[in-house]
This record gives sequence, structure tokens and C-alpha cells, in this order.
Amino acid sequence: MSFRLLPAVAVLAVFAAALAALFRWSLLEFVPGSLQPGGLTLANFRAVLAPQYVGAIRDTVVLSALTTVLTLVCAYPVAYALARTPSRRVRSLILVLTLAPFFTGAIVRTYAWVLVLGNTVVTWPVPMLFTERGVLVGLVHFSMPTMILILAAALSHIDPVYERAAASLGASPAHVFRRVTLPLSMPGIVSGGLIVFAWTLSAFPTPELLGGGKVKMIANVVKDLGLDSFNWPGAAAFALLALALTLALLTLVGRLSSDRAA
Amino acid sequence: MRSRLAVLLLVALLALPMVPPARAQNALVVSVWGGNWKDTVDRVIGKAFTAKTGIPVEYEVGGTIDRLAKARVAKGNPLVDLNFTTTHVARLYISDGLYDKLDMARLPASKEIAKEAFRSDSHIGSWAYVYTVVYRPDLVKEDITKWSDLWKPSLKGKLALPDFDPSHIITIAALMEGGNEVNWQKGEAKLKQLKESVAAFYSTDAQSQDLMKTGQGPVQVMLSVNAYHLQEQGIAVKVVQPTDYPGVVGIDTMAVMAGTKKAEAAHQFINLALSKEIQTELVKALRAGPVNLGATVPASLKGQPGIFSSTAEWKERGYIMNDEARAKNLPGWREWFTANIVKK
Amino acid sequence: MLRLAVVLLLAFMTLPTVVVVAVSFNPTAILSFPPAGLSLRWYVNALTYPQFQRAALNSLVVTLASALLAVPFGTAAALALVRHPLRARGLWTSLLLSPLVIPGVAAGLGLLILAAKLGLLQSRWVLVVAHVALVLPFVVRSVAVSVANLDPALERAAASLGAPPWRVVVRVTLPLLRPALFAALLFAVIVSLNEFVVSLFISTRVTEILPVAMFTYVVNYTDPTMAALSTLFIAATVVAVFVADRFLDLSRVFQIGEEGR
Repeated sequence: MSFRLLPAVAVLAVFAAALAALFRWSLLEFVPGSLQPGGLTLANFRAVLAPQYVGAIRDTVVLSALTTVLTLVCAYPVAYALARTPSRRVRSLILVLTLAPFFTGAIVRTYAWVLVLGNTVVTWPVPMLFTERGVLVGLVHFSMPTMILILAAALSHIDPVYERAAASLGASPAHVFRRVTLPLSMPGIVSGGLIVFAWTLSAFPTPELLGGGKVKMIANVVKDLGLDSFNWPGAAAFALLALALTLALLTLVGRLSSDRAA
Repeated sequence: MRSRLAVLLLVALLALPMVPPARAQNALVVSVWGGNWKDTVDRVIGKAFTAKTGIPVEYEVGGTIDRLAKARVAKGNPLVDLNFTTTHVARLYISDGLYDKLDMARLPASKEIAKEAFRSDSHIGSWAYVYTVVYRPDLVKEDITKWSDLWKPSLKGKLALPDFDPSHIITIAALMEGGNEVNWQKGEAKLKQLKESVAAFYSTDAQSQDLMKTGQGPVQVMLSVNAYHLQEQGIAVKVVQPTDYPGVVGIDTMAVMAGTKKAEAAHQFINLALSKEIQTELVKALRAGPVNLGATVPASLKGQPGIFSSTAEWKERGYIMNDEARAKNLPGWREWFTANIVKK
Repeated sequence: MLRLAVVLLLAFMTLPTVVVVAVSFNPTAILSFPPAGLSLRWYVNALTYPQFQRAALNSLVVTLASALLAVPFGTAAALALVRHPLRARGLWTSLLLSPLVIPGVAAGLGLLILAAKLGLLQSRWVLVVAHVALVLPFVVRSVAVSVANLDPALERAAASLGAPPWRVVVRVTLPLLRPALFAALLFAVIVSLNEFVVSLFISTRVTEILPVAMFTYVVNYTDPTMAALSTLFIAATVVAVFVADRFLDLSRVFQIGEEGR
């Protein structure tokens, strides 16, 4: 192993140790009111399936799936414009508008939605703040930049030869899009979709602030158990669940994209 | 030469995190609720304390139960020196051995306070308020005058309740069915009837304010102090003095954490908080009832819900729950409430 | 048609920002849009709030230290990955990019448990180590792309003229990588400044960084102070991104557009 890798690996070893600690603690018994755990047990994983928590898991999967679909639909047009516009100025504008929220941080972005959904601008006909609808809006908004960037990169990699060929054979622009562009951008759609899905599974600030304690995703349960009740064993079990789901999905992405490359 | 300088700079910059974060080493750390509560305690008591003793005050904020959980894990090596909590949750601290007994010799101001404020030998009352019905008349077109109004069909989908401490609504429902907080099961059916009226539950004071401000939860069972704070911010809410059953009295208390190294300073803080001058200020700032018999309640505030002129009024104009029963039942109440009322 | 959709979608993406900025100037504690007047009182409150001041200082210290550690570490790793024949290169790459994959709550909780057991919770070093790990993937990624594009002929020329390997790196490789190093530094700073979830778990009241302090504030208060602070944040970030695009051509960094092909 090259010695140049050493410092980076040393730092990552700390992360590995943290994961090891998680793994170990998920198998220890929770002693209420204390940070000293008991002996080995599978109770934490059984608790994960308890009715109050299973609901959170189900809500997480459903919300993540909905978020992914909606984000795809909303991001595609913007990504298309970003990739295909001839004007450098327009591209810069779209890029800045896409990236700026990306870099302002989770709290600022989520707080902005607390304001908008909280009847500050318009009084919504149905309650938005502290509901699942509201959390969904926040999650879609959060995932847009990522999806736009992935889709735009994918669209940029499509050789224009194909589209030109189809057009020269008499196909209308809509037809060209449907039969050529869209299918050729499928790898981007799939990997973008899976990445957004995986990241949304462990979303934390959006459901925490917009959910008002009513809409809980897996990450919120980890925080409740870990930081509010100090049930570290229980929190560890949940955190490992989130990790397992994420890894499974991302392995799928890797598998699919390497298939395509082959 | 330049690279050596660069290396030196790098090393110097890397030493930065070693510099201890700015924290006054001799500060008194007070555990209290956030928002308006911390601001008021700081403005009225904290600043006066620092002016008098030269000791700076820092605050650890959080909800009632969160701070109890934190205290439990830090047992023996407390991260805070002085704790504000509600009188019944204080019993949970006591049973976990988290409080030191109060040294009454160091609290001369306690001679002036009402006997009802002496909750135990470890915790002492700081102020009192009521939990009552609070609503926005501009969004709710009818008058709400009693607890039983909450069950009216016209209020369906307008109610917001706290999910972290359902003691009050459970007790009121029990009282309505001829029971009380000890045999509270009598009110279970009545409570389940209320389920459809609930639009939202709030987990924090801030959320309760948000629900009132946005109009999503225009009728709430709320702490009187929080309601007055909303009025101060410009939200016109009406605080009800219910005619069927009184508001449920809440008493906040102070205590010294077991194992603290600042017991002396903590006692000085408590003594100051109990003094006539500070108590008078607290009445005006919080619109709460004082524990010091000598504190003056301005005429304009007298008689308003939760603002008591004397501890005798606690009983006359409020319902005082049995502390021990409340503490014992609280975990069970939370579970029952979550499973039967909060869950969809 | 497409243009309309794109405009609407971009509006959706920017709407919250506009609302936040507008609300920050409201004279009263009620969040109203449009604002009932113009007042700077929440900006004053945000800038003088002691906990924000302490958190801002912590953020500065942690971010600076993390960036200054992550860039050299990541650059060295990138050089090793791209230049040297490594067995299991794919594995090393995955390892270096792994922090991106681990859910923040998992890393945060694990680090909390570790730090608590080692008694390190009151120190900012835990935060620094965590931030370095979280920032490494960005650094490695952006530097590796540039290293791959470097012409090895230049370094070989220097070596053949008698320069020892470390000199080649310092006098030839690094200067050639300068734009990539700047980009990496920028990424490191931005990611670290905004890092929230992991930091939430391992911060204490005394060591907490700005995003954590902001979260605590939002959970406890409902006044527009956070709107004011957010506006300051947003302004700084927009400027930074604008500058970055000017100097670095972000399209290329994200492989978008004609140049990205």
C-alpha cells in the first residue's frame, strides 16, 4: 500500500471504528437511564420491528419512493435545459441557481420551507407544515440539485449524432425525445433515481423540522433514541438498518452502471 | 525558506482546535426550557446574579423530559449545576438521586415564600401558572368558555394538544367523568371522543406557537405564560378561565444537582430568584404567579388566568394535581396517549 | 413549453430563498410576507446572540483545521490512486469515497459512542476528525480528475534533470494541480461549514458549530432571527459559487454541457 494513502486511511479508520462501535452496541442490552449497556441480546433488532417503529420504516420507504419519482419528473426539464442550452450565460445562471441551495446547508434550506409551508406567503387550503405533504415538498426540493446535476451529466454524454439522425429521418422533436433521448438517458435516470432514493432514506433535517414530531423517518428515530432517550443500543440497531438499506441500494447502482459499461 | 514558513503556519493553524472553546470556566450552568423561558430567566435572574456575584451564567436548554434523560446519563458528574423543571417531574429526578438536598440556611429569602412552594426538601417552587384553553377569536367564530366546549363538533379539526405531557387533558377528562388523576381511567372513553377534534400535536413550545401563528391549531391546551408571550408578539389569542373546571395548575421548581461543584453559587441563584424584588419582576415578565408572599402583582394583571396574587388562589382558581400521582402516572399516560390519541 | 416548465421549476427552487430574505426584514416577531416594514433588528439579534458567536468561532476553527488537513491527505491519496500501480485500486477508491455512503446518523451515533467512551466529547478534535473524513471524498474526487489529466512528461523531465521525487512533487506536480487544489479547498470549506447531521451528534453546547446552533435556535424560537442569519449565509454562498464558476468553470467540474463531453 502506497504510503501516500496512509494519512487518509488513518482518518477513515476512525470512521470504521465508529461503525464497529455501532455494530457492537446494537447487540447490547439497553439499561434505561444509564449509558452502561447490559449483555448481548437481539432485543434491539426485535424492537425495530415493533409497531411504533415499523411505521417509521414504512413511512421512510414510501416517502423516499415518492420523493424520487417527483424529483425525477421535476429535475428532468431543468437538466435538459442545462445540458442542451447553447448559451453559456443561461447555463451559468441555471448552474448557480441549482448549486447555490446545495451549498447553503440543510438548516437554512429546511427553515425556508418552515416559513413557506407555515402560511407565511399564502394560507394553504390544506395544512402543509408538520404533515407528510410538507415533508415531501421539502425532500423533493432538497433532492433537486443532485438529480439535476446527474441527469444533466448523463444527457451531455449522449452523442448528438443519434438525435440528428432521427431528426433527419423525419421525426418530430417530441418523437426524437421519446424514442432517442429519453431511452439513452435511462442510465442517468436509474443512477440518479437510486442515489436520491438512497440519500432520502437517511434524510434527517427535513423531516425533523417540517415533520413536527409527527412525520418520522428512520434518521429521526435514531436521533430520538440516541440523543433524547439515550437508548444507544436501540439507536444503533436503527442506524445499522439505515446503513444496510443504503448500501444495498448503492450496490445496485454500482452493479447496474458497471453492467452498462461492460 | 518559504516552504518552512508554510509548514510553521500549517502547524500553528492545526494547533487551533487545541485552544479550549470560549467558555467561562467558573460559570454557573443552569438547565432550563428554551426560548422565552431562558430569555426571561437570564434577563430577570441571571443578569442580576452576575451583577451581584460576578459569576457568569450559562444555560443548557431543552424540553422537560430531554433534560431529565441528559441528567440521568450524566449522573454523578453533572454537566449542569442548577435545574429548573416542573414540580412533578422533579420527583423523577429525586427518585433517581439526581438532586442534592437544599440547604435552607443558605436560602434566607425562603422565609418569605408560601408554604405551598416548599415541594420537598430537594426542590422549591419558583413560579406558578395554569394550563388552560387558549384560542384565536379571529379564526374561531364562537366563544369558548369551558373545558367541555373542546368536545363541540364545531371545533373538529381545530385542536392542538401537547404530546409530551398529556396530564392536563387526561385529568380534565377524568374530572368530567367523576374521577381524577388517580383513577384517570374513568375518562378514557371521553378522551377517545376528542380524537377527531385534534388537528395536530406539538412536541415543543415553539411548535405550539407555530401552530397558533399559522392557524393550523387555533384552539390549544396551552400554558398561560406561553399564551401571554404570544400576545406580546402580536398574536391576538384569548386565554380562557374555564367555568366548568379550573385550569390545571403548574408549578415550576428549582433544585441543585447532586455532585455539582458550584453548590454555593447555585444556592445564591435560588435565593435571588426567591427574593421579593426578583419575584415581582418575574410576575411582570412571565405573567406567572409568584411564590414570594411579598411580591406585588400589578392591578392590571390581577385576576387573569394563571396570574395568582397568592398561593391561596392556586387552590381557588386552579386545580392542583397530586404531585406523586402525576409523576408515577406520567410514563403510563404518555404511552396510553400516544397509542390511543396520537396514533392515526 | 419547455422554457415555461424550466422557469417555473427554477422559481420553485428559489422561492424559499426569496421568502427567507423578505421575512428577515420584518419588524415584528410574526413571520409575514410581504414584510410589514423594514427592520434590521433580527440581523442585530443574530449577530449579537452569544451562542451564535461562539458557534461561529467553533465553525471557523473546525472548518479551517479540517480543510487544511483534508486537502493534503486527499491530494496524496489521489496521487497514489491515479499514479501508482495499485492492486485493488477499485477497493481503495471505494474506501476513500465511503463516507458519502454512510448515513449521517449512523456515523454520528457511532462517533458519539466512541468519543463518549474515550472521554473526548468536550474537545473539538472529534469534530475535526469527523469533518476531515466527510470532506475527503470531495477532495479526492476533484483532485484525482486533474491528476489523471496531467501530462506525466513534465514530471519525467524534471526527474531526468536530477530532481529527487519529493522535489518533483513540490515544484512540478503541485503547481500544475493548483486549480484543482483550489477547487478541493473550496469544496472542503463549503461542505464542512454546512455539515450538520454528524456534528449534531458529537457537538456539545460548548463545541457546537454554527449549523447545530442554528438548529437549536429554530427548535426553540419562532422569530425571524433565523431568517436573518440564513440570509447572511445565502448571500455568502451565492457569492462564493459565483466566484467559483468564474474561475473554475463549474460546468466542467460537473461534466455538463459541450465542454463536458
